[in-house]
Amino acid sequence: MSLNDESTHILISQQAAQRLAATINRRRFLAIGGGVAAAAALAACGGSSGGSGSKSKNINMFTWAEYDDPDLLKSWGNISLTIFNSNEEAIQKLVQGGGSSGFDMVVPTGAYIPQLVKSGLLAELDKTKIPNFSNLDSHYTNQSWDPDNKHSVCKNWGTTGWIYDTTVVKTEIKTWADFIKVAQTEASGKTSVIDATPDLCGIYFWANGIDWTTEKTEDLDACEKFLVNELASHIKAFDSYPGVNLTSGSYALSQVFNGDARQGLLGIKAAGQDPARYKWGIGSPTTELWMDNWCILKGAKNVDASYDFINFILDPKNSVKDLNFHGYNTGIKGVSDLAGSIEFKDMVFFTDAQVATMKPGAVNSAQDRLVKIYSNVKAKAGG
Amino acid sequence: MTATLGTQPSQQRTWLRAPKFLLAIPSFVWYVFLFAVPVALVVVNSFGRKVAGTPGKVDLSSPSLDRYHEVISGSFRSLLKQTMFTSILGTVLCLVISLPVAYFLAFKVGPKAKTAVLALLMVPFFVNFLLRTLAWRIVLQPQGFVSNFLQSGHWFTFGLALRNGPIQILDTRAAVQLAIVYNYLPLMIFPLWVALDRVELHLREASKDLGANRLRTLLQVTLPLAGPGIVAGLILVFVPLSGDYVTAALLGGAKGNMIGAEVANQYFKAQDAASGSAIAVSLIISILLVLGVIAACFWLMARIRRRARAVQLVQR
Amino acid sequence: MKRYFTVSSALGVWTGAVIVFLFTPIAFLVAMSFNDYKSIFKWTHFSTRWWGHMMQNTSLTSSVRVSLEVAFVSTALALILGTFAGLALAKRPGKWTAGFVGIILLILVTPEIVDGAGQLSWFVLLGGPFRTGLTPIVLVHTVFSSAVVTLIVRARVAGLDERLEEAAADLFATPRRAFFEVTLPLVMPAVLAGGMLAFTLSLDNVVSTSFVSPAGVTTFPNYVFGLSGGIIRPEVAAMATLFIASTLAAVGLVALALRRGGQSGTEIAATFTGN
Repeated sequence: MSLNDESTHILISQQAAQRLAATINRRRFLAIGGGVAAAAALAACGGSSGGSGSKSKNINMFTWAEYDDPDLLKSWGNISLTIFNSNEEAIQKLVQGGGSSGFDMVVPTGAYIPQLVKSGLLAELDKTKIPNFSNLDSHYTNQSWDPDNKHSVCKNWGTTGWIYDTTVVKTEIKTWADFIKVAQTEASGKTSVIDATPDLCGIYFWANGIDWTTEKTEDLDACEKFLVNELASHIKAFDSYPGVNLTSGSYALSQVFNGDARQGLLGIKAAGQDPARYKWGIGSPTTELWMDNWCILKGAKNVDASYDFINFILDPKNSVKDLNFHGYNTGIKGVSDLAGSIEFKDMVFFTDAQVATMKPGAVNSAQDRLVKIYSNVKAKAGG
Repeated sequence: MTATLGTQPSQQRTWLRAPKFLLAIPSFVWYVFLFAVPVALVVVNSFGRKVAGTPGKVDLSSPSLDRYHEVISGSFRSLLKQTMFTSILGTVLCLVISLPVAYFLAFKVGPKAKTAVLALLMVPFFVNFLLRTLAWRIVLQPQGFVSNFLQSGHWFTFGLALRNGPIQILDTRAAVQLAIVYNYLPLMIFPLWVALDRVELHLREASKDLGANRLRTLLQVTLPLAGPGIVAGLILVFVPLSGDYVTAALLGGAKGNMIGAEVANQYFKAQDAASGSAIAVSLIISILLVLGVIAACFWLMARIRRRARAVQLVQR
Repeated sequence: MKRYFTVSSALGVWTGAVIVFLFTPIAFLVAMSFNDYKSIFKWTHFSTRWWGHMMQNTSLTSSVRVSLEVAFVSTALALILGTFAGLALAKRPGKWTAGFVGIILLILVTPEIVDGAGQLSWFVLLGGPFRTGLTPIVLVHTVFSSAVVTLIVRARVAGLDERLEEAAADLFATPRRAFFEVTLPLVMPAVLAGGMLAFTLSLDNVVSTSFVSPAGVTTFPNYVFGLSGGIIRPEVAAMATLFIASTLAAVGLVALALRRGGQSGTEIAATFTGN
């Protein structure tokens, strides 16, 4: 596919050919220029996902840690990953780069996409270059924060719950209110919460039946008062990935994303211990539904490669490999069947009744206030 | 030979005089551009406020002390106090641990052994700061080798067998304290050693000849003479330690948080350069306050000692 | 006499304990590079597989490349700035000296987080080249390290016999020749030690780097710092071990070079610590 583009350029424009001469190696250019172009074009039409011999498959991607199977990425091409730890941090870096960040792709959470679009950072997607887009389940396309998937394509989605060590925590945790109670008592000083603004404040809203996208001042005041005065002192760590280090036995109770919790249990098994010691639960009565998305940046240097990669990853057989790595639902039709009988499958795929309790977040006028609450909780926990 | 030549006035030597002042100019420009202006910017920004919805922009149209008010009234004040406490304790621990080492190096080993010991002390300092801090997470794992070993009741654990289960140091202030002492120890040992090394042997011997015992020699001759070096070491450790947040971020969890982390947090998460600047300036002010108090204490102690000695002399 | 012996050996034991303390985490880190499990925080059994993986993780290797490039360039800059400033300070003290030394001391005692925050705001204002590539990182690294080099060179030059240079001038050496054949060789030990320190400081830097580094440019320590919330694979420990080995070799070489220059071990250590 990409080679096809290249050779077309050569056939069309002398100027483009000269530009290419600088970027591809000399011998190959001569070969193509010497009349092999047509043959090459034919060969390239043969298969779009085969990829061997096509032009450079390089992408600079800005993404989360431990989020992509290195072997799968390598089977596509060369993807250089730079890691960020929060959406806010990613946006800050991208905005300050002023469109010359050097990245081709970024993987933000859905709620933050409007802000990225408003800052003029995301390229509009040409869906004709992503034929595999149709493989996505319609539940996971056309989301409120990006109607018609103008700027983003679902990478995977997940939810937030808890995991606890039953040798320490004897009370059964069924709701966020239980989570708070246990954090204040049995697991006081041994509790970790996710190191992100919406998830931290969400604990209070979910536990008290308040819509977690609330913009009301009194809700935010109450949230701050509670988290700072009544929860902060019980928190041991702000840790977004308590699961992967479950084997280290640092926490008795953790707020955790489902995929990370699953990684933790797999790790416990791999280390020869009994995973039954730890209990996972989905946040209740309501909890989060977050979705991280593939986006192409304006000013990306490897636009075609980025499209090619998005199309590649939306191929069900690649998607299932990705899923096996991180343990989140990739939203591809039939991926559950393809995944077969993977371990802790109920931590990846949820029933309709469960999904009904999960609500997407929003970045709205409360954002600055939420961040203030978050820093005050952190300062209080350490002071 | 050089002496006779050197004392003769020479026209050619004027080149030695003129350009050397100029040699410092690039550095000077460099520091103004990359140090003075940025630090001034932090001070200026601390009087502004965040422009909502834009990452990092500061509105300076109506300068105020509001950001400082937030620092003092909010949760940051106690965190600032905790940070100062951790830093002072860390510096004192560094001093207490380093003194015997520096003393040993300066007075008790031969030249050959001295080279070896110095090399051994220096090598860890050249190992990447972040990695050697992170490595403490391996050492201090509750389910790790050290924890299991201490619980095993092996004779070598000196009866330390932990009855309350695994060690739980990680993600506490204790872990930060330990790693901070670890990280800044070399910065204390070397200035101390150099300071002690320069105390001339014959002064110590004179003290002994005059009948002073060893402790008195140490307290009244050696340490006062090494004083400036000790002060340099204290400052070199205390200041960077107060601003350090990497150690706290890696090992401290929620409880071991340091104020530096909040500066970073304001910039990266809250995208609020004004609040971040105000916290940073508050940190500097706290550091200066602590240094000021310590300097005053030293001054007072010196005065009292002098007074006491004068009284002693009169009594004799 | 007997008591003397015990005090002295107690001090020796203490020093030994401190050395063991200093090496403990490093030993653990090196050991974990031979772990089979995917995290350095859980030992399962011996394996060298991560040493192979290390080179294939392009994010890791490119961060190492960035770190080395930044370290080389910033060290070179710091050496040029610091050597010149150190020479000027030692040889031509005047009214300006106090102010200049004042700035250097301020640089040494300002918490890095303050510098970093200010540099970020400043670079954002300036824009352009200050927000892309390695430039901003190199620039901020030179500030602290050139100050250190300045002090080391000054200490060394202050101890030199100025008449050597004057002799060269009297013997009709051109200023250039006098500088390259007399002054420079004399300050070389300080330059070597300063360069070594500047290089280490650059490789160590996390705080101001994390502030000013443009999107897409990550140094090795900042790569690891970014990972530190989650899982850290033994390949990171393997890379660290490689760094430790190279550092040992470099320190050894510099010490050897200084020694051939006729310095004793003590003098070498003193040079390293800027005294």
